[in-house]
Amino acid sequence: MSNNNSGPGYIQALTAGLWRENPTFRLLIGMCPPLAVTTAVKPALTMGLSVIFVLVCSNFVVSLLRNLLKPHLRIIMFTATIATFVTICDLYLRAFQPVMSEVLGPYVPLIIVNCIIIFRAEVCASKCGPIVSILDGIGSGTGFTIALCILGGIREILATGRIFEIPVMPAGFVPWAAMQMPVGAFVTLGLLLGLSSLLTSGKRS
Amino acid sequence: MSKIKLFVQESWLLLFCSFCFGLMLAATNAAWSEKVEQNRINKIKNLMSSLVPDANNFEPVLDVEVDLGKGRKATSQVFKAVSDEGGCIGWSFKVEGTGFADKIELIVAVDAAFEKMAGYNVLYAAETPGFGDKIRQDFFRDQFKGSPAGDFELARTGDSKIIDNRIVAISGATVSSTAVVNALNNYFKQIKSALEAKGLLKNVK
Repeated sequence: MSNNNSGPGYIQALTAGLWRENPTFRLLIGMCPPLAVTTAVKPALTMGLSVIFVLVCSNFVVSLLRNLLKPHLRIIMFTATIATFVTICDLYLRAFQPVMSEVLGPYVPLIIVNCIIIFRAEVCASKCGPIVSILDGIGSGTGFTIALCILGGIREILATGRIFEIPVMPAGFVPWAAMQMPVGAFVTLGLLLGLSSLLTSGKRS
Repeated sequence: MSKIKLFVQESWLLLFCSFCFGLMLAATNAAWSEKVEQNRINKIKNLMSSLVPDANNFEPVLDVEVDLGKGRKATSQVFKAVSDEGGCIGWSFKVEGTGFADKIELIVAVDAAFEKMAGYNVLYAAETPGFGDKIRQDFFRDQFKGSPAGDFELARTGDSKIIDNRIVAISGATVSSTAVVNALNNYFKQIKSALEAKGLLKNVK
């Protein structure tokens, strides 16, 4: 991660999380939401947007405080910052998106312990300026959201034959109820991780 | 004195940030808590209205402390369903039971004499998709519409279209079916006693 605030640093900060440092497919961190809230695209998207909000806000605050942070107190500072923005996000969903809040249940408050956010605070925000930290939050959060939506899309189509309430499967399609259960999440995630590994194996060799 | 100085030097940022975060959360909560509470009330009233469509309003009349067994207690607020003319046409309240995965919360309605059940709607349930979550489906819920209020028995087989106190269990979800039946039996007995003790059931006839 670049420490300077020049143009290439901004682009790198914004794009790294989309694929090269994608939290779900490449770094395999923050794996609880991809397994728990991807029964459909709507909850996956809501969770993704919530994580983007928390990532951007916590990265921004941590970045502003980075020169004042005591090394041995930094983790508690990160946690307090993240918990504040997660609580605000949870209250927002309960007030203005009650249906989604109910669908996501405890997984919104659990963003507090999502590794992605504390990882980006430690790796980027505590070392970089506010603009790079915000772009890093947007990039990592978007990469995470895309991963959630791909998983949610596959599971929703196979479990219900619909996506966003629109039928997409041919008549006579038998819904796979298992795709709505944890087994569906593990199988889909495993296959996508295999595909991601296959796509990058050429570069590694 | 030196210890206090060291404490302040080390923790002033954490104390200051905690104070600011606390203020932010207090302001957010003050701004949105009313909306959150209103959403909760609206949801419960919508579920009640769909069970007693002729009701013009639901008036809270009584808080009943219900014994859930094993030393657990829960408070259930009983609402009176009021018609356009102002008469009581039924009662509605929240029922809680222990399901397969988590607790099950139902909104239940009975007639004014507490003799027949108008039905139930699921307020909260996290039962297994494809199995236990069928407690939300009409084929199971319809067995309760018009049935005698209380003393339900669960049957593994039978005709689910016959309306009586024999409830045909959901195939593959006996735990969820049992949870609904047991919760209804438990609450009906205690809520009815509480209404009779207050003289509210006599007044509606």
